[in-house]
Amino acid sequence: MTTMPSGFDPLRLTVFANAVAMIAEEMGSVLERGALSPNIRERRDASCALFDAQGQMIAQAAHIPVHLGAMPEAVRAVRARSPGPGDVFLLNDPNHGGSHLPDLTMVEVIASEGVTVGYAAVRAHHADVGGMSPGSMPRGATELVQEGLIVPPVRIATGDAWNDDVLSLVLANVRTPEERLGDLRAQRAACAAGREGWLRLRERDTPELVDAASVALLDYTERCVRARLETLGGRSGTAADALEGDGVSEDDVPVCVRLTVANGTLEVDFTGTSPMVAGNVNAPLAVARAAAVFVLRTLMPDDLPTNDGIARAIRLIAPEGSAVNARWPAAVAAGNVEMSQRVTDTLFAAFASAGVEVPAQGQGTMNNVTFGGRGWTFYETLGGGQGASARGPGPSAVHVGMSNTRNTPIESLEHAYPLRIDEYALRAGSGGGGTHGGGDGVVRRYRALEACTVTLVTERRRHAPRGAAGGGDGATGQNLLNGTPIPAKCRLELKAGDVVSVLTPGGGGWGRR
Amino acid sequence: MTRTLTVGIDVGGTFTDLVAVDHETGHATAAKVLTTPDDQGEGVATALRAPAVGEAQVARIVHGTTVVTNMLLERKGARVVLCATRGATDLLQLRRQERAALYDLARDHPAPLVSRRDVIAVCERIEPQGTTHTLTDTAALAVADAVAGLAPDIVAISLLHAYQDPAHEKQLARAITARVPGVAVVCSSEVLPEIREYERTATTVAEAYARPGVARYLSRLGDRVSALGMPLPGVVTSSGGMRTALEAAEGAASLALSGPAGGVAGAALVVRAAGFSNALSIDIGGTSADVGLILGGQPLVEAGGMVAGVPIALPRVLVETVSAGGGSLGWIDDGGALRVGPRSAGARPGPVAFGQGGTQPTVTDAHVAAGHIRASRFGAGITLHADAARQAVAELAARLGVSPERCAGAMIETADAEMARALRRVSVARGIDPRSCVLVAFGGGGPLHACGLADRLGMTKILVPPFAGVLSALGLAVAPEQRVALASVMTLASPGADETLVRLARDTETRAGGSGVASWVLRARFRGQGHELEVPWNPEQNAEWLGRSFGALHQARYGFTLDAPVELVSMRCTVSGQAPGVVLQRHGPSAWDAEQLRDGGGMLDATVRGPSVIDLPDATLLVSDGWTAHALPMGGWQLERLG
Repeated sequence: MTTMPSGFDPLRLTVFANAVAMIAEEMGSVLERGALSPNIRERRDASCALFDAQGQMIAQAAHIPVHLGAMPEAVRAVRARSPGPGDVFLLNDPNHGGSHLPDLTMVEVIASEGVTVGYAAVRAHHADVGGMSPGSMPRGATELVQEGLIVPPVRIATGDAWNDDVLSLVLANVRTPEERLGDLRAQRAACAAGREGWLRLRERDTPELVDAASVALLDYTERCVRARLETLGGRSGTAADALEGDGVSEDDVPVCVRLTVANGTLEVDFTGTSPMVAGNVNAPLAVARAAAVFVLRTLMPDDLPTNDGIARAIRLIAPEGSAVNARWPAAVAAGNVEMSQRVTDTLFAAFASAGVEVPAQGQGTMNNVTFGGRGWTFYETLGGGQGASARGPGPSAVHVGMSNTRNTPIESLEHAYPLRIDEYALRAGSGGGGTHGGGDGVVRRYRALEACTVTLVTERRRHAPRGAAGGGDGATGQNLLNGTPIPAKCRLELKAGDVVSVLTPGGGGWGRR
Repeated sequence: MTRTLTVGIDVGGTFTDLVAVDHETGHATAAKVLTTPDDQGEGVATALRAPAVGEAQVARIVHGTTVVTNMLLERKGARVVLCATRGATDLLQLRRQERAALYDLARDHPAPLVSRRDVIAVCERIEPQGTTHTLTDTAALAVADAVAGLAPDIVAISLLHAYQDPAHEKQLARAITARVPGVAVVCSSEVLPEIREYERTATTVAEAYARPGVARYLSRLGDRVSALGMPLPGVVTSSGGMRTALEAAEGAASLALSGPAGGVAGAALVVRAAGFSNALSIDIGGTSADVGLILGGQPLVEAGGMVAGVPIALPRVLVETVSAGGGSLGWIDDGGALRVGPRSAGARPGPVAFGQGGTQPTVTDAHVAAGHIRASRFGAGITLHADAARQAVAELAARLGVSPERCAGAMIETADAEMARALRRVSVARGIDPRSCVLVAFGGGGPLHACGLADRLGMTKILVPPFAGVLSALGLAVAPEQRVALASVMTLASPGADETLVRLARDTETRAGGSGVASWVLRARFRGQGHELEVPWNPEQNAEWLGRSFGALHQARYGFTLDAPVELVSMRCTVSGQAPGVVLQRHGPSAWDAEQLRDGGGMLDATVRGPSVIDLPDATLLVSDGWTAHALPMGGWQLERLG
């Protein structure tokens, strides 16, 4: 038997991993039940995590990968504010632990007899946090302050008592204060569930055992990841890709990755990536880290516990002030949704160039579609083709990479909004050819019943998702107004009867046919 | 001789279980035969010939079948042609857009039951405000011609907004029936009249896919049973009610969770008999464990659920399955940690202790090594190879550098952790604190894990039912006759809705048919929400009352209400007959062996303090330290945590 670190009990590890995963899962269940906005409740654009007293994440219940590995930044930012036991913080500032402004993150300092024993953190994408347009994802924003209310880590509650001053300040700056208050209450309840679960576990198993088990769990996860990386030892690869404009200009925004696997560590170097751009596709470093954790996670067995142990095996190098390590006052709203996808694509491509078996590129965009008229706003994202792999064809009509939200039923949409869906279909033949074909994208045609505006933030309309191992590229996406092409990122006024069509990209094929 | 026996038969993967209850004496007997996978009816008939069943005494036979589940799993149903609104013919392929696995990017969903080339586009359109493109006779005929050209076994029709206006579906069905005589047609407005096109279409297609096979199976089964001189068997649906074979053949999709529903129904029977109200149930078998929730003495019935990758949005008894059971294998992963499952030794080779060629230790082997399962008593014609089991556990222990006893204990605890998580999930997600529930543990492995699970969840009361190994069959035997009818409502809970509600209540009651007591459930939500809560209702109450009840339920479940209009989505009417009045009772001379702690099923008044192991007629009960077990007059045991 190989020597294992002290504190590691091979007999108790799975039991402990289950216990902490259950706490994170229950936080998620409380959040989902309590949240008001469909985005949190139905699309599950939210994550819950549990941290030890040192601020190390020991469990995370993630429904969408973009929050993977990004939550520890929030707890780090809170710890920098000398938090007291029982304090509850709120933040969304991308420069201090946040991702983009709609993601409001709440962090509770878990106290036991006046001593900090851990942290519970809940991140949820709120439907609006103010700023220049409803939904707080304005196209064409060039400064963070235009995108909404910026919340650095501030105390929003202490114990059970809300800090009404801060709360009222937040609510005074958003378009739908009642819904926000409901969602914040749900986040508060989810943090409390995390606290209860953590304290109960510590009482049952004793604090000493739980602390030792936490250390062992993180070490174990790190060990599993490093063992996998050891099998790839000595490899390196590079890849370059680009976003197709930043919402202000149509110029490509290059993303470059050089990765090296050595001594069980994955080093990811973003040198060469575009400097911060004027538009809002910039991202704080947390987004690049989330992408790296996600890509590494896909190389591991599905049941690996999700905690900080994974990120320990990753070393990130991202030039300060680059588009993947943006600084004040950069606008970042679309970075979380689109830059995150491009970083993921580029990382997969770099792994492929290093000779690691990964799937061909998927659609690489979330196809953000927003309609708005008098008194209503409707936002959704659309699936497309996944890349094929050595193991088989790419799935069709799914979200790839950093998102995994569900679609809106045609009948529900037509009941609630003055829109009709003339067609919702597979975009047959859009997947790249190959031994294994790429997944197909979708076609969605919206007909406006009254005058309204449409905002599209889409990608992969110029640069196709690439095939792998000789497989063909997927088809680029396309946006149309009454049959005529319109830009990948645009905001248009519609009149009754206008038809907007979104054709999402296909995935790349794998292997020469 | 009077017919006083009601018989429940549950077909499982390995065994077909039978329980016969005499509803005059409360005396019940059980039998077990091997399942016959090619035609489950054969095993059912064999079970009915068991000595426990005198054919002249059988008043009623109720059957739980996995025929539909297997058909979906093996994709061995009928060839279905689907007719769908033009522009929405790919709904089955598009699903709800989520991927099959978050991180395993190569994994895809199981293929839909109908391929794209078997979908016919229908030129018509109904919108929320009414019909905007009328279905012409020419268009309907063109579709019927296309159907004839494809020569399917059966046809499914699912048109957009048909829950609101079924006219086009009906017109098209008539055209197809006229053009292709003899082919059955299934309409979405009849199977599931409810908004959300993907779930309605998928459910309708599943119904069509399973219907011919179910009809064949039930007719063969009827012949077999009639030949034995017994009454025609009824079938239990996913929602836990019994229907006649004839009716069941017309509601094939509602049989998809027939078997597990029986288990929770059996647990509910025992919960009521023991005077409890809320309970969590767990049925631990060889490869998996089924978790259920019982509220107010009744299994929780909710719409929704997925079978073999096919969503079936019909009412069903809530059952969550986890892949942890007696056959789950213990192993050491790359990180050096002990793991249990999800791989299982299954029925073959099964645990090492069964001596059928298994070499890797399973949870059952851990129980043998820990001394919980004794070699002297082991049912179903299996000789226990205790030494081999201990050896396998010892080998795993040596690789971990610990004693075999510690290794066995850790394997059991690891399995417990997985199952406890599922028990918490089904209760906490519905606002129920597991500590307020009694735990009902059954199946071959349930009584072995009961104390460990209860301790992990802070639960202080446990029920181990009589017939713990065949409880599903008991649940089936006592299932009341039940018929269900659904209707779309889609209106706000305001005074204007009163008339509609009363009309739909009458309509659904008539359509449900049969005799018995009608009860209604409204599926409702705050306007703008995407999922519904089910509110019990009766026609004496008005829509405003419904709105208030919904608010109260929302508060209880989710901890808040909204100042928003309440939308009534759909109505469900259930007409229930009388459940057979079964009073379970221990009978016969005491077979209690106080030395060996053996409960033979006879009259018994005993109290056992843990740690102890009690041999039950068909399972082993582990009473952990800190727990006390009392024999119940109805059979089975009740356990309580001390202090």
